Amino acid sequence: MKVVIFPPNSMILADLVERKGHEPLVMQSQIRKKVNTAEIDSPPLNITEKEPIEGLKYAAIEVPSGVRGRMALFGPLIDDADAAIIMEDAPFGFGCVGCARTNELCMFNIRQRNIPVLEVKYPTSSDETMELVNRINEFLDSLGEENG
Amino acid sequence: MSPTKNPHKEETPDTSKDETKIAETGCLIPQSEPADEDGKINRMIVIGPSANISNNELVRNLHMIEFPLTIKTTCYGAVISGEKEHVYEAIKRIRKLDPYNIFTKDRGFQPGDPRRCRAKRGGAREGFHQLEKEFELLDDVSKALKNPRKVKTKKLEKISPDEFKKIAEKCK
Repeated sequence: MKVVIFPPNSMILADLVERKGHEPLVMQSQIRKKVNTAEIDSPPLNITEKEPIEGLKYAAIEVPSGVRGRMALFGPLIDDADAAIIMEDAPFGFGCVGCARTNELCMFNIRQRNIPVLEVKYPTSSDETMELVNRINEFLDSLGEENG
Repeated sequence: MSPTKNPHKEETPDTSKDETKIAETGCLIPQSEPADEDGKINRMIVIGPSANISNNELVRNLHMIEFPLTIKTTCYGAVISGEKEHVYEAIKRIRKLDPYNIFTKDRGFQPGDPRRCRAKRGGAREGFHQLEKEFELLDDVSKALKNPRKVKTKKLEKISPDEFKKIAEKCK
């Protein structure tokens, strides 16, 4: 099953999903498409005016272009997902999740999809980390059962 | 010289709609051209703090697999780049060295890409701060993977209006 993770660039979440035989939908695959496109329109990262326009599928025109641009990358991942794991309160150092409004919109879109969702908090202690890993594994096992 | 038209072939304007490009708002949304699918992917291999192998051992083992991969040693482990099937197979074999302490992560940029490589930019690359944070948790993650425990994942359900009324009255 395709499992979208949030933060979409988390190593721990992606690794746990992969260990259980599912496919993690991660941000890096979207970025790879952007930065490796042969025709570089807007170096160095190839971000063009098309992204905020593509983001219109997920956010209204009044929404800042930065949010819409991010949604052009996050949105397709959410659309493809069969299940989701959301880890809230990730530290700000978590790369592309520095925009709080985009994060809210992403979580809203994931919840609106009516797919199995596991919501956890970013662990702050050893016990919480162990609990988090067990909960994620349990959730991923249950997905396999549902899928037959 | 102006181009001549074929008199036998009548040109008709293309009136067919591409449904995929029209958003719910009715706006025509141009889609970016997909990246060339060359099948190459990049993976970061991160060794946990309590791993039994070192970076050198990891890289030596990667070289011994003899797949056509680009391998770069890093402070956290290695970055490998190559054809999808080779990368996945290499990861599968490398994980066997220490299954609970080797973690992998997809990466967008190729190893040594001047847009990200710290050798060219100076200072840590953007993703490194996140990796640093996650590295702190890896010891506990590997312990949890070694000793799995049963936990109950509660499914959040909506409460009925009557129940909500009761709660509201209690809070008065």
